[in-house]
Amino acid sequence: MREKINEEVSVVMYYSARKRRAVPHIINWQNKDYIVGKIGYRHTIRRGETLHHIFELVDKDESLWFRLSLDTSNLHWKLELVSDGEPQ
Amino acid sequence: MISLPLNYNQPQIMHIDLNSCFAIIEQQANPLIRGKPVGVAAYDTHTGMILAASYEAKRQGVKIMSVREARLLCPDIVIMMPDPAKYRDAHRRFREVLLNYTNEVTPKSIDEFVIDFQGSRAVQAGRSLVDVGYEIKEKIKESLGEYVTVNIGIAPNRFLAKVAAGLHKPDGLDVISGENLLNTLKGIELVDLPGINVRYEARLNVAGIYTPMQFLAAKAEYLQKQVFRSRVGVDWYLRLRGWEVDDVLWGRKNFGQQYALGDKTTDEQKLSKLLMKLCEKTGRRLRQAGYSATGVHLWLAFANREYWHRGKDTKSEMYATQDIYLQAQKLLNQVHIPAKVTNMGVSVYNLHPCDPEQLELFAGTRLAKKSLAQAADAVNDKYGEFTVVPALMANMDNLVLDRIAFGSVKD
Repeated sequence: MREKINEEVSVVMYYSARKRRAVPHIINWQNKDYIVGKIGYRHTIRRGETLHHIFELVDKDESLWFRLSLDTSNLHWKLELVSDGEPQ
Repeated sequence: MISLPLNYNQPQIMHIDLNSCFAIIEQQANPLIRGKPVGVAAYDTHTGMILAASYEAKRQGVKIMSVREARLLCPDIVIMMPDPAKYRDAHRRFREVLLNYTNEVTPKSIDEFVIDFQGSRAVQAGRSLVDVGYEIKEKIKESLGEYVTVNIGIAPNRFLAKVAAGLHKPDGLDVISGENLLNTLKGIELVDLPGINVRYEARLNVAGIYTPMQFLAAKAEYLQKQVFRSRVGVDWYLRLRGWEVDDVLWGRKNFGQQYALGDKTTDEQKLSKLLMKLCEKTGRRLRQAGYSATGVHLWLAFANREYWHRGKDTKSEMYATQDIYLQAQKLLNQVHIPAKVTNMGVSVYNLHPCDPEQLELFAGTRLAKKSLAQAADAVNDKYGEFTVVPALMANMDNLVLDRIAFGSVKD
């Protein structure tokens, strides 16, 4: 089941100079911390002039999938969608 | 009449397509749905149509059909709406991988490419294209993700390369050459040949051709005069023997936008509003590509399965959304609506490149309209689509969603 959330969330991001990669590491949503596991896909989109980085990933337990958006104009994170991978 | 042997030249054309494109990209993005039947549908309601099915869903019989039918065949199917921006990003990455090998990379659709390796560095270095193919598979996994697989076909021409790419789906790599062409054709059916659908198959059957081998054995003259009754017959004669006839790049002929109505209606005011939004999207793409047009086409599909369409050539060039809408609304006024409208589409044709503007003494409001369209586009570029819209489109929210065409990657 996939659900639209569209809420701002707290995110700890990690940048590896060796891999030259910046990825979200912890997501705090509804007072619960989710450690990021596998990153499925990352791409960028423009909404008007603003560039957003979209991260689609699962938590370390592989129980939930998250679609996160980083607004590069203010560096705010938004949790756009959540899914448990099950049919509706 | 032409008579040619099989093409025994070294195969140097590669066809690559992404397996179950939209579905596999969604499975890459969400590891929780990997290995599960997935359908990407225009809408996730019962009447939404499945656009792409994962291999797990295809194995259970899911193909292009409604979500309701797909759920009957496969109750545990995960249905999701398309994410065009992500698929365009995947297409761009896919293309970047291929451009590392040669500039002769032609996108055939959102999920397939043809690469002409003739004269490429790989060929000059004496590398086997099979090795290059396996390397490309790895590079695509590195770029798009570990779950993404592609089919690769290598042959002396585009047609046979596509046949080869379809031999061992998913994740295949096959070569068709002059040496193994006959054996390959023995193992497939007429409808396995790209471009031969059931209608073409019936036409070939009427002419006594039931297998690809019989198709190959037919003389050019017979195919031209008896089977296809046109030059197309000779093209098939050459294509099947491995000679190139498909290396033609067709330019853009039209820009259009269509919409399947979630809320089917006969209300003319609602249809007019929807028409304006389709014209705005069409106009945006027309202007972004630097064209104006002197033809507009409108089509409607109805709940009683009837279909209506009409085109109109215009004397003046259409550039602004209002120009397109005015002409399209005139067409809409001519429709007798027999049942609820289910789908609507607008396109503009007779395209003319917009040259640098020559100011005319009596241009009147035409230039003002053009400037207004450009100003509105600039605002929408800066703040997002539909920030500034014609009054008729007020309160329409995001009614016409972003869509992606399988066959179009021209803009």
